[in-house]
Amino acid sequence: MRYDVVVVGSGPAGSVTARFAAERGAKVLIVERRSEVGVPVLCAEGISKKVDSYNLVEGTKWKAASMAGARIFSPDRTMVRLSAELAGAETGYVLNREFFDKELARGALKAGAKLLVNTLATGLITDGGRIKGVRIKRFGEEFDVEADIVVGADGVESRVGKWAGINTTLKPHDLETCAQYTLSNVDFEEGYSDFYLGKQIAPGGYVWVFPKGKDVANVGIGVLASLSKPGEAKRLLDEFIASHPDLKDGEPLRFLAGAVPVAKPIEATRDNLVLVGDAARQVDPITGGGLMASIEAGKVAGETIGKAVELQRFDKELLSEYEERLRQTLYRKFERNYVVKETMLGFDDKTLNMLADSLKDYNFEELSTLSLIKALVSKHPSLLPKLKPLLKAR
Amino acid sequence: MGKPKAVVNREVCLACGGCVSVCPEDAIMLVAGKAVVDKKGCISCGICVKTCPVAAISFEEVTK
Repeated sequence: MRYDVVVVGSGPAGSVTARFAAERGAKVLIVERRSEVGVPVLCAEGISKKVDSYNLVEGTKWKAASMAGARIFSPDRTMVRLSAELAGAETGYVLNREFFDKELARGALKAGAKLLVNTLATGLITDGGRIKGVRIKRFGEEFDVEADIVVGADGVESRVGKWAGINTTLKPHDLETCAQYTLSNVDFEEGYSDFYLGKQIAPGGYVWVFPKGKDVANVGIGVLASLSKPGEAKRLLDEFIASHPDLKDGEPLRFLAGAVPVAKPIEATRDNLVLVGDAARQVDPITGGGLMASIEAGKVAGETIGKAVELQRFDKELLSEYEERLRQTLYRKFERNYVVKETMLGFDDKTLNMLADSLKDYNFEELSTLSLIKALVSKHPSLLPKLKPLLKAR
Repeated sequence: MGKPKAVVNREVCLACGGCVSVCPEDAIMLVAGKAVVDKKGCISCGICVKTCPVAAISFEEVTK
């Protein structure tokens, strides 16, 4: 088997990369170790409405619910309400990932890419140190797939990057360990994604309630691995649900465990190699949201790969145009948000309560840095020194 | 008796990949939808044990 590009992983990052590379004429193969694209879902399923502007999905099945905004609850349950635009990349739609991923994959296949499910990538094929494809295993048989470019879109536990010598190991400080129920028989304010903060609730992370439809919601938790104990994510989530009047009678339709990188993006290109999505740690370090990032980065990766195939140049210098373009956009935001994450980790519950109390009546429609700071410190002047690192990060 | 090595309870593991991505020795892999620890590579640091969201990993004394 011989292709221009072989993509390992059929999640959003892999499918979008494959689509844009194929649209530029590259011969692309996607390999997926699971037997079905988009299953099992390992995600809170929140995404910004920005996804509409990419025009990558058709129909309506991929969309479970549309959000007007987010409600953020401090440890003492002071609520700050944000519009979807301000709430960031995870508030807009709540997805049905099993359909969303299939739609993205269908788009790639329509553009001419091929897909093999039930197919495990077992290692790189190299020739004198140069990457020239991947070894795959399907239904007990091994094959070589030759390709000029290998794309690692193989998620948080990425092997492809490791095979190429990129250090992909995450520090526990840079990983959120997650658990989530999809609960039926729950109550919520329609059109709002809820976030609950607090050291007792979710150390170094948060609990989310994302409505999916009539009395059904994704209720999940992320705990920073460095602050976790064995089984902590599930235990704290169970406690939260049991103590919440709107959730305690919920019955689970689904349970899942997850892992989300909250790191700075890592080196994402080598000669003949590209990493994209969670594999490249392209996730917002504050929210842990990576869907929109995977799509944005996948588009740029696919376009760069398409160009590489046109020029028949597969060296890092050319491929890193992809990272260069992201440095102006996505990576700038992630670097800044990593500082915010670090700062917020230092906030105790009292500080979070003061922040929420300062912001609960703030008019976010007139948002400006100056007016925001004014609002924050006029009520609680002791917040100012705590927020200093954030001002430097701007 | 060797040092206790991390061991995955396959009935509890949900294959989230958290342990794989934090293992400093690259000694955990997902095999057929479950995390598997390579005992030779395991340095008994316990990071995976703490990270697991559903407590599927624990230390087990290995006898030699």
